[in-house]
Amino acid sequence: MAEEENGAAGGEFYLRYYVGHKGKFGHEFLEFEFRPDGKLRYANNSNYKNDTMIRKEVFLTPSVLKECRRIVSDSEIMKEDDNNWPEPDRVGRQELEIVMGNEHISFTTSKIGSLMDVQTSKDPEGLRIFYYLVQDLKCFVFSLISLHFKIKPI
Amino acid sequence: MANAADVDALDFEPDDDDLMDDDAAVDVDASSPTAAAHIPKLKSAITGGSAAAAASSAPKKTKGRGFREESDAARSNRMSGRFDSLDSDGGPGPERSIEGWIILVTGVHEEAQEDDLQNAFGEFGEIKNLHLNLDRRTGFVKGYALIEYESYEEAEKAIASMDGGELLTQAVNVDWAFSRGPFKRRNNRRRSPHAHRSRSPRRRY
Repeated sequence: MAEEENGAAGGEFYLRYYVGHKGKFGHEFLEFEFRPDGKLRYANNSNYKNDTMIRKEVFLTPSVLKECRRIVSDSEIMKEDDNNWPEPDRVGRQELEIVMGNEHISFTTSKIGSLMDVQTSKDPEGLRIFYYLVQDLKCFVFSLISLHFKIKPI
Repeated sequence: MANAADVDALDFEPDDDDLMDDDAAVDVDASSPTAAAHIPKLKSAITGGSAAAAASSAPKKTKGRGFREESDAARSNRMSGRFDSLDSDGGPGPERSIEGWIILVTGVHEEAQEDDLQNAFGEFGEIKNLHLNLDRRTGFVKGYALIEYESYEEAEKAIASMDGGELLTQAVNVDWAFSRGPFKRRNNRRRSPHAHRSRSPRRRY
């Protein structure tokens, strides 16, 4: 079944998210990538106060990828389109690229400061889905990365 | 609330940012006849010879501005270079995290609270870390939890006992979160690696 293909472990899955801008402190960005072989890559860059790039990677189990897939599929982002979303600008840029089953989306838009930006846009429904999905994905990725790499302070 | 913890920076060369890794150097798949038909060269920020295209065994329906934009060279550099990881032999099996073993619980009831997870999972060992993230829109639990135990045995016991079990009358699944290496995708193994690359007829000998 096509649904199974998209949703089950057998179908393809890839996800990449980027948010960033170029400014006084260099190219500041956050990017993470869920790869089909289970590798999660995370990068966070800023030259603020001469800071350097953080790059982490770890292999996830199929269960984790499956959960990521579920989060994406529940959001119904694959049904949306970015043609009425604000274009990336000087303030910044977001990119979301997802391969799920036989569908491949690659959306770009500007940074979203708050729900106000969503509500006043030309596609509030679609942009809202994007806005919340990005937050949920960030939560997931930050949890995975911090749990795997970060030592708890005393 | 979600724990958007900061990540510690480790020492490594800032210049790695500009280095093209082996990963990004090979980019054969993006120009395969099947893919090229309606997918312009995928942004090389996807490393590993265009991981997204490598994953595909059939042309995809595409959507979005990202396909129409010029690919930015810097993009390919961002995700290339050396990434930090905990040492591992790359084989199969779960991987230990920095101070313990992490399991993923899925199917968590949307009204579950940390206490419910403590009660259900605390009996297998002391829970060193617990992330029960919320859905940012609804405020309910997103549906997964990440739990850390100090020892492999405790985590394994939790998985064995709770996988397929119930929490607040809802079925949950429990498994390791991190692996020592990539997982083999059984679906694609049977096919020749070149099967999807070229439409020209096979040579007849």
